[in-house]
This record gives sequence, structure tokens and C-alpha cells, in this order.
Amino acid sequence: MNSPRHDSLNAALASLPLEFAPARDLWPGIQQATRGRMRHRWPVAMAASVSLFTLVGTLSWSVWHHTDGEPMAAQPVIVGSGPQRLVSYELPQDSAYQAARGALERTFEERLKLLAPATRERVQQDLAIIRKANADIQGALRADPASPLLLQLMRSTCQQEINLYTTVTHTTDTLLTRRT
Amino acid sequence: MRPTPAAQPGANPVAPGAAEPGALEFEAFYRLHVARVYALCLRMIGQPALAEDCTQECFISAWKALGGFRGQSSHSTWLHRIAVNAVLGQRRRGQSDLARAALPLDELAFAVSDGSLQASSQAHTQDLESALARLPRGARDVVVLVGLYGHSHEEAAQLLGIAEGTSKAQLHRGRRLLAQHLGLSQEQA
Repeated sequence: MNSPRHDSLNAALASLPLEFAPARDLWPGIQQATRGRMRHRWPVAMAASVSLFTLVGTLSWSVWHHTDGEPMAAQPVIVGSGPQRLVSYELPQDSAYQAARGALERTFEERLKLLAPATRERVQQDLAIIRKANADIQGALRADPASPLLLQLMRSTCQQEINLYTTVTHTTDTLLTRRT
Repeated sequence: MRPTPAAQPGANPVAPGAAEPGALEFEAFYRLHVARVYALCLRMIGQPALAEDCTQECFISAWKALGGFRGQSSHSTWLHRIAVNAVLGQRRRGQSDLARAALPLDELAFAVSDGSLQASSQAHTQDLESALARLPRGARDVVVLVGLYGHSHEEAAQLLGIAEGTSKAQLHRGRRLLAQHLGLSQEQA
């Protein structure tokens, strides 16, 4: 059994941040070193999916911090069932998962209407890119179905879509709470 | 952590005719992982400038090794392996003259204060970072990899080029020293 000291040390270590941003942007040096060697090295599908992380991260930042100075909430609207979209990528066929995902997507579609027009438009643009990336990855997987990298990217992009739904839902939770 | 903005957020990553196909995508990959890689390098090598060099080297090596990625591990674990190699290479080249007095405590404190931690929590975290930085190199490496970043002793031993038993011994030593630095008494044990 762990001693209290052991436990408190574990807790202390677990409290440390695992990420620090470097003081300067290191990308220019990396870009310089890899310049001219980028071409044809990065599969299209992978490229699209990797970019999503940044897109969604930026989106979340924008939604949460209102960087455009525009009120995040649009005028109150009647929340009804939004247009359903078919999930076009291959996902686990487990019915419970599909049902949970469908419910999350429906909530997202409804909550989207609560966002200010500019924010909503940006969310929709980013979602379109996510879905395009999923389609690209599926295409690449058809050619190379056993690629562990593509499979991992597929999982990652699906997760990013879920994160997008969740960000919008959680953000609008606050708005709904204020109104009630 | 504060999100790092992309150079061109929202840009079409696969736009035909882009000047340097792959560059935007690899930049996105870099921005996704850089903070974690840099933190690992900084904690292992102790000096911000050298940690930056190691981080750059890590991503350049990652680019070169991309075709060899087989997916047995996550991108993050894969990058950790490359980052640790970069740190060890830096040390071998003798460019790291780590002195305890020169440890980047201010840098770490700055990084911590950039987050949303409460003041008391920040002070506690800085104490721990300070104690961690004062550990002997061998113990610190293992505490960072195993105790902080969750690698197994087997993985840490592979990454550091030491025996698994050595890794366990170094962790034990490191934890004991950390407890001493932090004033966790034997009675509490």
C-alpha cells in the first residue's frame, strides 16, 4: 500500500502542467530546415486532418473569448429540431454509440442557432472542413486500409468533430442558464 | 493551456497551387504538439535555449521519420521518443552544461503563471518544479518520464538507454530526494 508521502508526492507530480509554450516561435527554424522537402511527403488526407486540430483549437478560443468583440448570442430563437445530417464517415457500428452521437449532433444543430451569425458561420465552415477531412481520410483508407497512421488520424478527426459539438453545446449551456 | 494560433487559421490545408505543399499541415502538427515536447525537453535539459534547440531538432527529425511511423504508439509518444533522443544527443555533444544554479526556474514560473492556476497552487507548483530541477540528472530523467509523463519503466529504460532496474532505482532515489526538498517528512510516510 502506498504511504501518505508517496500519495502526496504522486498528487504533487500529477498537478504539474505537462505543457509549456516556448518563449519564441520555433517554427521558422523548422520550416527552414525542411524547406524544399515538404512536397509529396505528407498525404493529403493526413494533411487535412492534422490541420483540424488547429482549426478547432482556434475556434474554441474564439467562441470562448469572443475575440471579435461581437456578442456571442444571437437573438433568442425557438429551439426546435434542426436539419439532420447524415454522418457520412465510417464510425463504430455500435447502436448505443450511434444513438449517443446522433443525440449530440442534434443538440449541436439546435444550439448552433444560439450563436451570433459570424460565430455560427465560422463553426459551420470548420465543421465542413472536418467532414471534408474525414472524407479524404476514408478515401486514403480505401487505398491503404491497414495504414495505422491513417486509422489513428481517422479516430483523431472523429474526436475533433465530437469536441466541436461539445464546445458549442457547453458554451451555449451558459447562455441558456442565464436566460432561465 | 492557451491555444497557439495557427499561422493561417482557416486556410484550406490542401489548396491546389499552395507554395509549399505539406508545410501548412506540418506546421499544424507542430503547433499541436510543441508545448508538450518543449516542456519535456526543458525539464530534462534544464535550459530554455537548449530546450528550444532540442524541440526544433525533434520536429525536424519527426518530419524525416514520418514515413516510418507505424502507429504502434500515439503521435505524442512517438514524438517523446524523438525528443528524448534529441536531448540525449544534445548532452552527448557537450552543449549542455547544466548547472543547478542556472536552472530555468523563472522560465518555469512564467509558464505556470500563464495558466489559470490559483496563486497558492502556483507557489506549490513552483516549489515542486524547483525541487525537480535540483534532482541529479539520472533521477530527474526518470522522474520526468515515469512520474510525470506516465511512461513505464520499460519505456523509460529504452528511451534513456539504461537498464529497467536502473530506472526503478533512479525513480526511488528521485522520489526520496523530492520528498526531502518538499519537506515531506518520514513521519508522513
